[in-house]
Amino acid sequence: MSKPHPLQLIKPAAPADRPESGSAAERSLLVAAARRGDVRAFAELVDAYYARCLRFAMHMLANRSDAEEAVQDTFVRVYRALPGYEERESFEPWLFRILANRCRSAGARERRRSEFVEFGEVPERASERRHDDAIAWREEITRALAALPPEQREAFLMRHVEDLTYDDMAIATGAGISALKMRVKRACDALRLRLTEDFGARRD
Amino acid sequence: MHDETDETIIRIAAALRPLPEVDAAQKARVLVAVAADRERARERRIRVARGWRIAGAGTFVAAAGLAAAVWLRAPERAAQVATIAPAAASPTVSAAPSLAVDARLATYKSVQVVLRAPAARRVSVVGDFNSWDTDADAMSRDPATGLWSRTLALRPGRHVYAFVVDDSVWMRDPRSPAAEDKDFGRPGSVLLVGQP
Repeated sequence: MSKPHPLQLIKPAAPADRPESGSAAERSLLVAAARRGDVRAFAELVDAYYARCLRFAMHMLANRSDAEEAVQDTFVRVYRALPGYEERESFEPWLFRILANRCRSAGARERRRSEFVEFGEVPERASERRHDDAIAWREEITRALAALPPEQREAFLMRHVEDLTYDDMAIATGAGISALKMRVKRACDALRLRLTEDFGARRD
Repeated sequence: MHDETDETIIRIAAALRPLPEVDAAQKARVLVAVAADRERARERRIRVARGWRIAGAGTFVAAAGLAAAVWLRAPERAAQVATIAPAAASPTVSAAPSLAVDARLATYKSVQVVLRAPAARRVSVVGDFNSWDTDADAMSRDPATGLWSRTLALRPGRHVYAFVVDDSVWMRDPRSPAAEDKDFGRPGSVLLVGQP
């Protein structure tokens, strides 16, 4: 099933195989149009980035509904902040800055609320044990990721999943580049350790 | 350490990279919130400019369960049916508490417009809510069912709308009340959107 494409602005007859978020040039046109108050352009931006933002938020918050809420709130904030957005900044790190902030505050709230709950994994694991290796591996990753300190998790995801450069990550997080490299390195070390040990043990 | 080329890290990143399925109703909540934002700003400007107040819509019939179906007379097309029903998950009802736009969301209703037109190449819904702009609300086609749909954020009250198929056929919905006030002299149908 093709994804519904609610609004078509730039290319009315856009082919279905259009790349995930369009070209960089198209995106900067969209950002410029959205900044002038063009709601259709803004809707295109939401279309282009929603799934990616949701991926990031789900990995940060480990909970779909919290993630949806964070992403929706992020786009509303983006919309309101667009008039003050400088076009010489690049859009993506700016978007991720708002999203990461939103995820941080949601994450802090969640930690206060439920320190002992391991995000709803328990019933599934108790009921069904038809994990093949791939599923088991993904679950281990999810748990290992959730065990990281939030700033390491955030840095790891931005670098290795979202493919942001360290410069963009500095914009998105407000942290310095060497601090970010250290966070990513620590995250990698911890993930590698936990996943090689845990997953090895689980398979035996 | 060369984490960028480390096999374990590459495998971890690959497992985390698939994009989640996006729920269109969830995504639409962003646009509903933004539309509410804009509308509020517009109302503020109008009030300032004209000393106007926007009348409450208490006199309008609630739209719950409203559904209209129509057989269209386009001769060379497969029979087409249009239905209009409130979207299943109304974003105005279940808006998350942290969304600061909650109060404003309550003034909008999410309405899904559906048209069955398997042979059409392009369909849009036009109406007073989008200034009859055929580019504003293009509908998306579900290839499995041939249904074209579009979720609109509408203020409660009376709206006049029509469908434009393939940029050439303008059609109203005869089972909905015909609008007497023909915008642009073309036929339209009336859609009543209820109070939240």
